[in-house]
Amino acid sequence: VPSTDSAEYPVTISGDDLLSIEVGSPAEAQSLADALRQGGVWREVVAGIGSVAVQFDAAAVSLDSARQLIENALAKGISPLELSDVLLQIPVVYGGESGPDLDDVCDQTGLTAEEVIALHTGKEYRVDLVGFTPGFAYVGGLDDKLNVARRDSPRQRVEAGSVGIADGRTGLYALPGPGGWPLIGRTAFRLFDPSADDPFPIRAGMRVRFVSISASAEEA
Amino acid sequence: MSITVLQPGLQTTVQAEPRTGMRHLGVPASGPADPLSLALANRLVGNDLLAPALEVALVGPSLQFDEPCAFALTGGDAESTLNGEKLDFHRTVVAKVGDELAIASVEVGTRVYIAIGGGLRTTEMFGSSSTYMPAAFGGHQGRALIKGDVLETAGDGSTAETLETPEDFRPPISSRWAVRACRSAETHLLEATRRTVLFDTNWTIGRRADRMGMQLDGATLAVSSAGRMPSSPVFPGTIQCPEDGVPFILSIDSGTTGGYPRIAQITRADRHLLGQMRPGDHVRFLPREPQQAAEELQAKHDYWRQWLPGIERVI
Repeated sequence: VPSTDSAEYPVTISGDDLLSIEVGSPAEAQSLADALRQGGVWREVVAGIGSVAVQFDAAAVSLDSARQLIENALAKGISPLELSDVLLQIPVVYGGESGPDLDDVCDQTGLTAEEVIALHTGKEYRVDLVGFTPGFAYVGGLDDKLNVARRDSPRQRVEAGSVGIADGRTGLYALPGPGGWPLIGRTAFRLFDPSADDPFPIRAGMRVRFVSISASAEEA
Repeated sequence: MSITVLQPGLQTTVQAEPRTGMRHLGVPASGPADPLSLALANRLVGNDLLAPALEVALVGPSLQFDEPCAFALTGGDAESTLNGEKLDFHRTVVAKVGDELAIASVEVGTRVYIAIGGGLRTTEMFGSSSTYMPAAFGGHQGRALIKGDVLETAGDGSTAETLETPEDFRPPISSRWAVRACRSAETHLLEATRRTVLFDTNWTIGRRADRMGMQLDGATLAVSSAGRMPSSPVFPGTIQCPEDGVPFILSIDSGTTGGYPRIAQITRADRHLLGQMRPGDHVRFLPREPQQAAEELQAKHDYWRQWLPGIERVI
């Protein structure tokens, strides 16, 4: 039976060396994860969209003491991560080979391709989370009209730079690999660059705008 | 000193200590899929248990030693030869200049490990030498070996003594597996009538099996998430179940977050077994409470510590 010591932020066992803490928002998840990471006792502290997971050394730390450390941290409260000043402009080629699921998204939403693109480029978003692979960004704040579900079964290979939408968010694939989000476009923006001083140009809390460009503009 | 790759094999990579403390930026663990076998190989050539070594998957490479070099083979069952002469696993071998090591197809298990006296020289990324192919970093140029590659060794290739792994410390490699698993954060999303199916089914490893993860065939589960679960942290050994009801186990190169319900978690003590499972193998999951799993981890460490001091860093 999952423990719910803290009514506000339930703590759940998610493995013999893993605890999961439910929080109210991605900004709370980021902030709690940052605070826990400074504690130094955890092997990994990973934020999700609505939760944080910690991995502890089960050979040295008992589940009960790990849980107590979490409860102590939660007792201090969580102040959500603030929005960054950084605004990233991300160019996207929508539809066609770049966005093989755009037609599907139109079917699901009853919108035309032009309407989907207009909605997607029509507002400023916030990066909720970087995770999955190095540089993969979960961008929050998608218009309700674009709220489609993940694919029933993930694709074995998605190209780097693919732009997917699912469950109220845009997902930016930094690397080629498996992926389950319906794809509406692709960007040449380098989401992860291991040779750069900062390999992670996109971080949680940053602001994002998508800009529609043509495939030929991308080549130029 | 150096080693020339005559034939690369199907997917031969340099693996070492996993990357830690970077999952929050999407950087997975990587490292050996079967860390116990990697450590056993390193032990035989006097290396640190997690020194950079070669991980071979399914079809082995042919390598030529350009200078005298100690090496050792562990892991899955594959016919291996030095200049055409059959080689035993689990013992230190000293190759002479020009000797050719050839490893054929892996017949049982999936991965063979080749440790080199003194270890291999690598490019580190985020504090680890392990290869992570999807982002092309770590190991040897961030990729699997190709024909003509020249691997530089970190030392002079020598070893202080020649050893054999005692019989009691040679892990059995099989095609039938039992691994222990705890519940995870979304176990409750498994439909109640199907919850026992996870532990009652004799699962088969599906054709989709690699360093990212393995699909499980044998039964269809049902989860009530409708494709709208918020993406959540996942780890090597997490079993997720998408809406199509076909579960999969995540391995060392898996993503750090995932949007499918986490229905179980292989216990830390047994995660190293995942690295030897291959398509068609059978696997059963044994339910464990976390407390029990912690005791079993302790027992496993106590056992292996006798031959591998420092085993806590490995499994």
